[in-house]
Amino acid sequence: MNDAITGFAALIDPTIGLCLVVGVLLGTLVGAVPGISATMAVALAAGFTLTLEPLQGLAVLLSIYVAAQFGDRVPAILINTPGTPASIATTFDGYPMAKAGRAGIALTSSALVSAVGALAGILILIFAAQPVAAFALRFGPAEMFALVVFGLTMMVGVSGGNVTKGLIAGAVGLLFGAVGRDPITGDTRFTFGIPELSSGIPFIAAIIGLFGIAELFNQIIESRKGKSPKPITQLGEWWPNRAQRRELRKPTAIGVGVGLVVGVVPAVGGDIAGIISWDQARRASKTPEKFGTGSLEGVAAPDSASTATMGGSVMTTLALGVPGDSVMAVMIGSMVVWGLQPGPGLFVNHPDLVFSLATIMIAATILALGLALVRMRGVVKLLTLPQRYLWAVIIVFCLVGTFAVQNSVFDVGVMFAFGLLALVMKRFNFPAGPLVLGLILGPLAEGNLRRALLIDEGAALYTSPIAVFLLLLSLLAVTVPVIRSLLIARKIRAHAHTRTH
Amino acid sequence: MSTHKSRTTRTLGAVAVVSVALALTACANRSDVAATGDVFPSKTITFLTPTSAGGATDLTARTLAKELEDEFGVSVVVENRPGGAGSVGIQYLAGTAADGYTIAVLPVEVSLLGHQGYDIDPADFDFIAQANSQPGSIAVPVDSPFQTLDELIVAAEADPGSISISNAGPGSIWNLGATDLGLAAGVEFTHVPFDGGAPAVTAAVGGQVNAVVAGIGETAPAQKDGRLRVLAVLTDDRVPALPDVPTATELGFDVVIGSWAAIGAPAGVPTDVVATLEAALKNAIAAPAYVEFIESGGNIPFFRSAADTTAFVQTESERFASLLAGS
Repeated sequence: MNDAITGFAALIDPTIGLCLVVGVLLGTLVGAVPGISATMAVALAAGFTLTLEPLQGLAVLLSIYVAAQFGDRVPAILINTPGTPASIATTFDGYPMAKAGRAGIALTSSALVSAVGALAGILILIFAAQPVAAFALRFGPAEMFALVVFGLTMMVGVSGGNVTKGLIAGAVGLLFGAVGRDPITGDTRFTFGIPELSSGIPFIAAIIGLFGIAELFNQIIESRKGKSPKPITQLGEWWPNRAQRRELRKPTAIGVGVGLVVGVVPAVGGDIAGIISWDQARRASKTPEKFGTGSLEGVAAPDSASTATMGGSVMTTLALGVPGDSVMAVMIGSMVVWGLQPGPGLFVNHPDLVFSLATIMIAATILALGLALVRMRGVVKLLTLPQRYLWAVIIVFCLVGTFAVQNSVFDVGVMFAFGLLALVMKRFNFPAGPLVLGLILGPLAEGNLRRALLIDEGAALYTSPIAVFLLLLSLLAVTVPVIRSLLIARKIRAHAHTRTH
Repeated sequence: MSTHKSRTTRTLGAVAVVSVALALTACANRSDVAATGDVFPSKTITFLTPTSAGGATDLTARTLAKELEDEFGVSVVVENRPGGAGSVGIQYLAGTAADGYTIAVLPVEVSLLGHQGYDIDPADFDFIAQANSQPGSIAVPVDSPFQTLDELIVAAEADPGSISISNAGPGSIWNLGATDLGLAAGVEFTHVPFDGGAPAVTAAVGGQVNAVVAGIGETAPAQKDGRLRVLAVLTDDRVPALPDVPTATELGFDVVIGSWAAIGAPAGVPTDVVATLEAALKNAIAAPAYVEFIESGGNIPFFRSAADTTAFVQTESERFASLLAGS
């Protein structure tokens, strides 16, 4: 308890408040610009914060981390372009909502559930850091493989009704995921001698192309055809009414649950949590058919999940010294320089620090939520622009953002290539979701399966309780819908039969 | 009325364009003045790093850049050119002007990638200095039955392939370290490459593998926390961070391998410019801020002269070629 008091007391310092505000402003901004991810912003800021006191520096870095997860929803909902990978699943329902004139409620609800998710994650960080971190350590290659297989079963769910086309898109995603160096032997595959491809398809460039550029091209084509696409001129209601607030509860609870588990597992972050929880909420929903067409539940689930991963990631990072996600990998670098070596020793040497960090994150969440709610009115003005100006602005942001990831013109080419691919897919009704899933999860599945096979010929796949549980869950996820639809078909047939009699 | 309005707009627009243009020419003038000096360095130096922002190599570049700025009085701008396991940035450096205004951190990969199908040859670069050394180590989970390196080797001897050792990635320096140890001891290990050093160490902490070969920067803090037991360091002499841990050589296995970072430029930089850079880097590498940064990561700040670094990188490259052939 004393540690908690010392931890909180350490923050009663106006400069820390200032650092928080700076971090939240920066984070919201970089989150909202597609391509500039929280990882990059934290990495660049780390260069400046090293000269600050550790707590001041951490206040800047952590609040960028938190606030970026609020900012990135805005382009996902308004222009179908995830601001950071964590909001990939936000585009599934957020953008359809915006097109239907309900952007206001999508933005507000998204900000609210993001805050709920973030706070839930941080509470777990405060109260359960060490036991939960011990659980995370049990995720070896076999368990990781099983988790990823479970993630891959979501392909059907994110297919948007057309399972065959969804699975084709997923297979193409897996193929793209295989580009680069073999995870075990290091041989290059499908790189055609291009050195840039040896570390795989640049992921940020690919998702900006798949979502943002494809949507942009599509709108341009539609308007050239004279179809005058319906611009998002109205944002509709701002505050969810009581019925809508009730509607948010279940998907948010599912999102928080999924986010906490995924966040604790090292090296997987908000993007995967968002997609998994979107699909889980769809399965649990009373109106699953609305998912993908502008369902408020479909916004709440992924947004609460991706923010809930933050507490888990920070926890894994602090307690194990293992980066919980890519932002944390950068943060460890800074912490080491400040003499705060993450790992079990941190809880012995600096027990108050965990409380300070959690308090910083709570304050950042509240600030970011406030900023998100206030700032949204300004977004209206942006949308009243004639569409051709908006297109120009969007394309500049996509270009600059993609280039900035690794100062690479090649990445910009990749962005356009994926934009064209997704445009063709869109015109022929192939969903982009499964492709992204294949691209993210394919390499994780392959690397971990092959590591598991190397270590004990894969024995852990059927002896580790975690792996067995997750694999069974995957099996159920694939088979249950099929069996259920068969049963329903039989019931209908039986019904029809009795009627003819 | 409307024509009047549009004329006003046009005039205002013209004023805006002209003022922006003037502002831009002002900028151009300033950089011209700076560029006319004769003595090196008289303009901004670009300090490339073939890694993303935020990692250890990037921070090495940023810390050194700050010292060089103080030394030279010109801006030293760090530019990240990540991708392709470092090959993208290293190849990019080879194509820049050899005038000393573009330098780079060249990590150990500069002597590795050429043997792994990349178009990279250490001979394409002028090495100016070595900036640090990151010694290797072998560690086991803290509850492992193996108390000494000998016990681990004996187990590998008894059942070839039964001992699994994680490393930072296929063809990485730590993969070679484990290979080298296997060759020196005449035993067969199962090498398990991970996607980076941190997950490889975690796999050992979690007991998923029998051992890990990694830099002491990663294993020493884990030993302090009671998560890993370091069995040996792969250095000539014992390291300050782990004074009680024997070297592999002491234990009878002649394995000395580690990661390092050199500073280099494209080949053909005038010798006096190299000498100026070398002298400045020598001071920068001894500067308290840099020493503290490198030591906080558990590594060793280490200066080697331009001539010695060139020879060292060449020797390392030849050694790695034969190790890679053996792995």
